Amino acid sequence: MTAGARPRTSPEIETLLLAKTDFQAFLDQLWQGGYRVIGPTIAQQAIVYDEVRRVEDFPRGWTDEQSGGQYRLKRRDDEAWFGFVVGPHSPKRYFFPPQVAVAQADRTATGWQFSEVPDQEPPYALLGVRACELAAIAVQDRTFINEQYVDPIYRRRRERALIVAVNCTQAASTCFCTSMNTGPRCTKGFDLALTELPDSFAVEVGSDRGADVLSTLTTTAASEVELQQAEVARQQAVDQITKRLDTKDIRDLLLGNLEHPRWDEVATRCLSCTNCTMVCPTCFCSSVKEVSDLTGDHVQREREWDTCFNWDFSYMNGGVVRNQIRSRYRQWLTHKLASWIDQFDVSGCVGCGRCITWCPVAIDLTEEVAAIRETPA
Amino acid sequence: MDVESVVYVLSKLRFSEPLPGSMLVRIAALAEMRGFPAHSILFRENADNDRLMIVAVGRVALDMQVPGRGEVRIMSVGPGDMLAWSALIGEGRMTTSAVALEDTQVVAIRARDALLLCESDPEFGYHLMRQVAQALANRLVATRLQLLDLFAESEPFIRQGPD
Amino acid sequence: MSVQASSAIAENPWLAQSVEIAAVTPELPGVATYHLRFRDAGLNARYRFRPGQFNMLYLPGVGESAISLSAANENSGTWDHTIRVAGNVTRTLAGLGVGGELALRGPYGTCWPLDECAGADVILVAGGIGLAPLRPAIHTCFAERKRFGRTTLLYGARSPDMLLYRRDYDAWTDRGLNLSATVDRSQPGWSGDVGVVPLLVDRLRPLTPANSVMFLCGPEVMMRYNVRSALERGLRRDQIWVSLERNMQCAVGLCGHCQLGPAFVCKDGPIFRYDKIERFLNVEGL
Repeated sequence: MTAGARPRTSPEIETLLLAKTDFQAFLDQLWQGGYRVIGPTIAQQAIVYDEVRRVEDFPRGWTDEQSGGQYRLKRRDDEAWFGFVVGPHSPKRYFFPPQVAVAQADRTATGWQFSEVPDQEPPYALLGVRACELAAIAVQDRTFINEQYVDPIYRRRRERALIVAVNCTQAASTCFCTSMNTGPRCTKGFDLALTELPDSFAVEVGSDRGADVLSTLTTTAASEVELQQAEVARQQAVDQITKRLDTKDIRDLLLGNLEHPRWDEVATRCLSCTNCTMVCPTCFCSSVKEVSDLTGDHVQREREWDTCFNWDFSYMNGGVVRNQIRSRYRQWLTHKLASWIDQFDVSGCVGCGRCITWCPVAIDLTEEVAAIRETPA
Repeated sequence: MDVESVVYVLSKLRFSEPLPGSMLVRIAALAEMRGFPAHSILFRENADNDRLMIVAVGRVALDMQVPGRGEVRIMSVGPGDMLAWSALIGEGRMTTSAVALEDTQVVAIRARDALLLCESDPEFGYHLMRQVAQALANRLVATRLQLLDLFAESEPFIRQGPD
Repeated sequence: MSVQASSAIAENPWLAQSVEIAAVTPELPGVATYHLRFRDAGLNARYRFRPGQFNMLYLPGVGESAISLSAANENSGTWDHTIRVAGNVTRTLAGLGVGGELALRGPYGTCWPLDECAGADVILVAGGIGLAPLRPAIHTCFAERKRFGRTTLLYGARSPDMLLYRRDYDAWTDRGLNLSATVDRSQPGWSGDVGVVPLLVDRLRPLTPANSVMFLCGPEVMMRYNVRSALERGLRRDQIWVSLERNMQCAVGLCGHCQLGPAFVCKDGPIFRYDKIERFLNVEGL
């Protein structure tokens, strides 16, 4: 279920080319159209999402080298604009912000008045969204826009967002989207999808909104040669994927091995540092805290990202249920790969590999699952 | 009450119901029904008592004397529960006093005769001791749950720090 | 802000509705029942809940607390919450009196499945403050007497002076409830049972296991042993329901805190049929 991107009804997805020399005009048009344009940029030696106004803001000519507990930027020998995979940020920080006011209370002469806090954010245009991230957005849609209780902030931002995806042309050693059937090819959930060529982008339209945006830009038809080039570029990403997660019966495997000795073993390495949950594009845990002004007459309820790795996340009645790292790691992994399926009819993992890259001790969930699979109960 | 009636009573009680019918007859031959009106004492703490009792009807409270606190009520027992197990196991000195909370009837088994029978007939001995062990185990678990004081007010949350 | 028909749940799930404290009934040391009334009279008239459900009570600047509804008071038009002081929110609430203002959103969660128990003997088993969420079920059994068989309450508290709702017991037994109360620690003047609640389950007579249902609420350890006794008496796991507790914050399955295995205790519970939750309850630190 993807709110916002109304899929095209026509079976023929025509591919057009957008010249790189025309990309600045594209950015300008988006900003003029009222979007806040977000895309990959370099900050603090990583590729992170931030506002993009000029094409010079993109990490052109840079790539990332990732492995367990390792992330480095390196110069490429070409000037590719999107020649990298995913960094510590994901689109979740825009629809499900790390910190946001969800309600407020004002003390008036007639008592407390409760109201929403109007969300002031302009609509986002997210540029450079990868296939795994599209899948993660679809996963989070199930959490935040389900039938019973809808998060109004998520829904509003999601519905108004323009999603311009980019097809990966390479893979990191930590990527395993193919195991999760989430990539590397962008197939749905986007308004536009770009594949980088030397001087242009092959553009696929994924929705009416995308078509409308594209119609305002200068484009040319893609030739057979160019279509071939795009296909070759995308195939490179597939070929470079080495990591695998065996997902066969994974729900029963994990929920049927809750006392497996592997949990004790991983607990000797896991620091409960919470990095994995911070970078994971589907993690959704949060806490609300009360923030008063000095008079105490105006209170905001601020929701912040929380994480099941926090020691007192499961506190109740004078004690903490998951008092040990063993319990907390087990909770995270079984939720992500198993319980999520019961809860949302889909896996919580999209195979982006961020948790492996950003774990300071290089815990690899594909290895943890394999270890349990090797000696199940 | 005749042996048949005692057998019938035993066959309905949780303590003795799992035992083979032939055993109930032999136990009944060593036992008699005893009645205790409400508030009467079945036995006193520290006194000698040579009857193992099984409550058939009514309720009995078990009290212990604690200097400075007086009589402390430990537990109450009802139909099917065993009393005065110290008569059979140990030297017969009671570890609690027993007071009838309401009109009560017990099956009172002559402990010395039961022990002789256990020694001469090991199979009988095995079954009887097994039932006694089960009853004591249940009593132990119930006592542990009392000890856990599960309804105590929660302690204020004191951060003990992560592991 | 639109609110669902018979509830105080706004479209924005974080938004609460104003209530005031119409009355306070002291129950036990540290425990009181707050009779709450919505300031919006229309909402107060429309609000409904099912026995076993809970509300999130909100004190601006302090926070929220998940509290089960312990009664609907038709006479006074109030919604009753029996609350024990246990943290910041409940402690602040204890400082408020009649006229005090707070907010409420709810009702949330699953309910005691009385609708599915027509004709059954209903055995309610409670410990300590766990009697509070069962009290609306008792009231339903009285109100719809003919729908149910024998109704029984087996209840235990720490000591005789900690028996909750003790002043109601005579009225309850007069209306046909079979009531057995026990205490962990006796006090002078108490001639009732002494010992833990599972012993009451062991001794319950008469009992027709095939036609019985059991609803349990109390400390988790106590519930576990009550289930053990119930199974020994011949009840099946799918005849037993338990009310669980976890760290409830959002109450709508969005914050993640209350999970037990795949279940969100706030919306898949707090009341679970025992066979569906047993394997997760038995895992330490899950």
